[in-house]
Amino acid sequence: MDNLKEDLKKQIIEQLNLEEVTPADIADDTLLFNDEGLGLDSIDALELIVLLEKYHGIQVTKPEEGKEAFKSINTMAEFIRNRKG
Amino acid sequence: MFYISASSTISHQPAFQNAGFSGVIEPLLADSVLITPDYKGYIDAGLLRRMSKILRMSVACSKDCLNQAGIDQPDAIVVGTGLGCLQDTEKFLTNSITIEGLLPPTSFIQSTHNTMAGQISLSIGNHGYNMTHTQNTLSFENALQDAMLLLMEGQQHVLVGAADEYIEFLTQVSENLAAFDGQYLTSGASFFVISNQKTDTSAAAIKDCRSVGLVDDTEAEIISFLAENELNAADIDLILYAGYSKSNFEIFLKLGIDKSKCVDYLAYSGLYPSASAFALHIAADRIQHDKSVGNILIYNALVPHHLGLTLVQPVEA
Repeated sequence: MDNLKEDLKKQIIEQLNLEEVTPADIADDTLLFNDEGLGLDSIDALELIVLLEKYHGIQVTKPEEGKEAFKSINTMAEFIRNRKG
Repeated sequence: MFYISASSTISHQPAFQNAGFSGVIEPLLADSVLITPDYKGYIDAGLLRRMSKILRMSVACSKDCLNQAGIDQPDAIVVGTGLGCLQDTEKFLTNSITIEGLLPPTSFIQSTHNTMAGQISLSIGNHGYNMTHTQNTLSFENALQDAMLLLMEGQQHVLVGAADEYIEFLTQVSENLAAFDGQYLTSGASFFVISNQKTDTSAAAIKDCRSVGLVDDTEAEIISFLAENELNAADIDLILYAGYSKSNFEIFLKLGIDKSKCVDYLAYSGLYPSASAFALHIAADRIQHDKSVGNILIYNALVPHHLGLTLVQPVEA
């Protein structure tokens, strides 16, 4: 099990107050901003930027970075690993 | 005349979806709690997760009203609130002094007063006139007057209401100010669909509403308000009043209104700035279920120098 991905799922649920979602409900490739995925919206995108700084010390300064990184748990984990080098 | 086509309240009283509640409710006790419905039945889960108490109450009451009135979309949404979204304001301010770095945006976005009417419109997909009024204890009267003007301009159905939420900090403030002795600080939301025509669901009618800031002569204001509506004090069957001043009763006595016709609605709603909306729901419910009641005057002097007067009457045959 990839600890970073599991941590991300827990952090997203807490940060976005996803009351009825558990980490097991979020597959690594679930599309976060798709209605058939988690159905997140623009306010959630801002919360994810805060989450990356709060838990991982990463600042997202370019909008296009976030657009790509926030597609799924897989892309978020990849983005964090790349930035931490 | 402005017809009340639907009414909905979430408060410390069992008023939600409880027609006839005005005849059975008792004055609040110190340990009363907010009585809430299952919000999931009224609010989309995606929106509900972010909503504070005041938003949940407001949106649920609004949707209940639209269901009762049998309309999908009102022509306008008008809300009054005395203190606005206190939970989110407190959360945002606490975040701003405790978190280093980026602040979570949700509580800031939802701390503004106009979030209230805005979240109702988002919840039902409404693109009409959208306004949140805040005028301290006269917030609801101001919202109601706005709604009445819209109906006079030709709108058919306006969703209008008011809400305020209690947070623990209010108790600290009231203790420090030694204010509101003997009053219970509560949360409450009351919403209505008011219409320019009588409908099948019309429960009562609002004849008039007046709000006066820095009032000089309360007695004269009441007399002139009633005279404008071709009434005198003897025509009033019930006064629902709010205000701590003992002079309230002196005013009512001078006007020749018997004490037995005067009911302190704060004893039932608890204390929050827009509780006069709760009084309007009591008035509409009372008129609908007690045919002996004609004219009801809501007298809001919660802050003594600000006066709100609302006249409620039965729907004419």
